[in-house]
Amino acid sequence: MSVLEVDAVSINFGGVQALREVTLRAGEWEIVGIIGPNGAGKTTLFNCITGFYSPTSGRVRHRGRDITTMPVHARAALGIGRTFQNVGLVKNATVLENLLTAQHLRIGYDPVTGMVGGPATFAEERGLTDRAHQLLELSGLAGHAHARVADLPYGLLKRIEIATVLATDPDLLLLDEPGSGLGPEEAHSLGDTLLGLRKEFGLTIVMIDHHVPLVTRISDYVYCLNFGEVLAEGRPDVVRRHPEVVRAYLGEEEAAS
Amino acid sequence: MSAAIETPPETPAEKTAVLPTVSVEEKPFRPGMSGVLGRGLAWAAVAWLVLAVPGNHLSPFDLGVSDVGVLSTAAIFAIIGLSLNVLIGYAGTISLGHQAFVGIGAFTSAFVVTDLGMEFWLAVPIAAIMGGVQAALLGAISLRLSGLYFALVTLAYGMFAEESLFGIAALTGGEGGKAAPRPIGFETDYQYYYVCLAFLALVWWLDLRLTRTKGGRALQALRENPRVASSYGINVKAYTMLAFVVSGVFAAIGGSLLAHHDEVIVPSSFDFELALLFVLMTVVGGLRNRLGVVLGSVFFALLGSGFLVEALHLTGFVEGVIGLPKEFVALVIGPILLLLTITRFPGGIGQQVAPVRGWMLGGRFDRHAGAVKEIEVNDVRA
Repeated sequence: MSVLEVDAVSINFGGVQALREVTLRAGEWEIVGIIGPNGAGKTTLFNCITGFYSPTSGRVRHRGRDITTMPVHARAALGIGRTFQNVGLVKNATVLENLLTAQHLRIGYDPVTGMVGGPATFAEERGLTDRAHQLLELSGLAGHAHARVADLPYGLLKRIEIATVLATDPDLLLLDEPGSGLGPEEAHSLGDTLLGLRKEFGLTIVMIDHHVPLVTRISDYVYCLNFGEVLAEGRPDVVRRHPEVVRAYLGEEEAAS
Repeated sequence: MSAAIETPPETPAEKTAVLPTVSVEEKPFRPGMSGVLGRGLAWAAVAWLVLAVPGNHLSPFDLGVSDVGVLSTAAIFAIIGLSLNVLIGYAGTISLGHQAFVGIGAFTSAFVVTDLGMEFWLAVPIAAIMGGVQAALLGAISLRLSGLYFALVTLAYGMFAEESLFGIAALTGGEGGKAAPRPIGFETDYQYYYVCLAFLALVWWLDLRLTRTKGGRALQALRENPRVASSYGINVKAYTMLAFVVSGVFAAIGGSLLAHHDEVIVPSSFDFELALLFVLMTVVGGLRNRLGVVLGSVFFALLGSGFLVEALHLTGFVEGVIGLPKEFVALVIGPILLLLTITRFPGGIGQQVAPVRGWMLGGRFDRHAGAVKEIEVNDVRA
């Protein structure tokens, strides 16, 4: 059974059709790459999967369960975690606090018990802090635990964001341009990190990125979107050489020459 | 001359390049002998000022009944300030009708004690529940409206409460007001002050635990970025409601204490001026800064009652020269302080006292502690 199944999803904004009959699936342990020019509808597709947008038609399924009309927080509880194109973190909090916030779904006590100061909440908070430190250690961010997010550089924030998403215990990870702003070398190490994460956490990953070498290196399957439609799909090397993809990326003339 | 090849002098950049990237854990600062003594004395002074002076114990001052009454009001205002801080500071929604929150607590408590003949100690929790329920109604509206439009709704709600709700004679006693006797054993102003202080301590504790647990973190996330919050599995609507209910409960506790402090409450005392004062004291105190909000509330309570003007012997100047009744000084100084807070010191009073606070909690005296770079966009959104 596929972890994620997007079945002929279309969405209109006013007169603009941002997605047209997009079908996509991601199996267990797969890394699926989504490439495509700016404005192709990649992030819109993510928003349909995570629930920020509700598609005009089509269904979204998670492990066979129809989640098309489920609210965002309920989908998160199913194990759908995502990162954002422009860094989704709480900027005025420290890195550690962000990791604690991200563990929201793991917390057993209810907020009122937490307020009153139930004895169990103290022990549980210590457990959360320990796990946050472990995740930071794992991501090589241990030294930044007490830094305020707003004071840290962009490249680091991208890594912190991945750590926070891992803290939410996802089984399906949606990464929106994890490689943006990274140099070729950093992008390469990001690829290794993602492969490592899949192995360690048993994740299915769907990632959007403009960095074609990164996507083709680590993906098992690649979709190329253009103007809200799936232009091509298949094994990375196939999609990369697909004439339509080359044309969409490089323009009409270069493709012809 | 030796032909040996000299190694080029190392540049600082090369030196640092070989250093392993280990974060240097700074040893936690421990105050020395004199430091401990100094901090101990400071704590003792604060405890003396808060606990002993108002009761005229071990104190050279002889506070009159009305002076202690003002201090009780200050403690009650601090509770109300913390209540408003939950809404404006944590949830990022404004309330310009907080006098309704307080008033509903006050009238509920008075009704329960006077008409139902129950104990004060039972009236406070009942008032708190009422406060939570009415806040939940307003919270439900806030899920539909935001920013300026919601601010207008709260404004209208406050007016409605003052003009109509509190005018229902069967419940509130109408213009004549309703009696709200003090609990047995705490009838004098000196005794009642400690009741107010105890409730302030309780609210402080609840607020402290809120910010350090699940609910507070969820509120912080949804205030700054609701999309990220919901992607963490936080139910944004439910937690916004939680903030309203918590704020309503705190405000109603404050209202209940206020009712039994005045012993007779009248609808006209819960006017818009009061709501304005509540917003001023909370923002000038410093949003999201517990100590700041409490100090700001105390300051405005003392100013609003004319106590501070009298204590500084400025009554003649204010009333004679400027021609301003001393009770209105707060509403003149408040906006000026608000402007200063928003433009110059976004951390409010909390920012000003942060160095002393840090020092008293055993840290170094850091002049820059608590500096808030700028007021958050969503604090002034409404």
